[in-house]
Amino acid sequence: MYHTLLFFHLIAAFLLAVTVVTYTAVALGATTGGRTLFVADRCWDVGGLGTLVLGIWLALDLDEYDFFDGWILGAIALWFVATGVGQSTQRRLAADPNADIGVMHWLRTLAVLGLLVLMIWKPGA
Amino acid sequence: MTLLASVRPDDWDLPLFLHVLGAMALVGSLVLVVLALVSARRGDSAAGLRLAYRSLLFGVIPSWILMRVGAQWIASKEGLDDLDEPPAWVDIGFLTSEPTLLLLIAATVCAGMAARRAREGGGRAFGGLNTATLVLVTISLLAYVLAIWAMSTKPS
Repeated sequence: MYHTLLFFHLIAAFLLAVTVVTYTAVALGATTGGRTLFVADRCWDVGGLGTLVLGIWLALDLDEYDFFDGWILGAIALWFVATGVGQSTQRRLAADPNADIGVMHWLRTLAVLGLLVLMIWKPGA
Repeated sequence: MTLLASVRPDDWDLPLFLHVLGAMALVGSLVLVVLALVSARRGDSAAGLRLAYRSLLFGVIPSWILMRVGAQWIASKEGLDDLDEPPAWVDIGFLTSEPTLLLLIAATVCAGMAARRAREGGGRAFGGLNTATLVLVTISLLAYVLAIWAMSTKPS
């Protein structure tokens, strides 16, 4: 059970990476079609939900971790920051395809990096 | 293995972080290449092919190196590279990562040539180079999904 959950949790995290990499290309000035951004946004929808639900499930499934561990609460907070900033970026681009999304995108990227740091180091666990 | 994951020594964390970061950037860049190539087939072939080529050159190849260096570092820390018979999941990791570098280099060359032809106006979005790039990248992506499965489920 643990390994299956972990596999799908990782796949969901890799979907988040698809969104971050695609928006990095946009932030660096690449020309992408609307379809590419649409797929990238759906990757965040599926990956975001998957990482959150499966991550909480993993925390509840393992005796070593508790839902109220600081690193898990921190990860959930970062997840909400990344998702919120991502949705703002998405709305801004939908309103104006030439909008400057640099700051918002790099904020989301930092939040995702922070999530990865918490997942690996698990401070306080 | 579950217990091992929770009590991993602290000095394994940095190599593991670099390995996972490289792997995530690698897969993310590869999916972007696929999206750019599909976009090139449907519309602006020059822009799509340029994005695919640059993603391969500046995203995929550096990410592969980061992933592979991190993998070797963590394998060394765990003593997995000294074993006569390493676990199957380690073998799967090496078997999926090393041959795919050749595929990725070939894909980069094909995408570069296709992008150049498209820029000069002689390339066709459905050309053989585009298809070759798409096939090479898709095979690599499938191999990496297998690697993710092996790394997370750790079959013995």
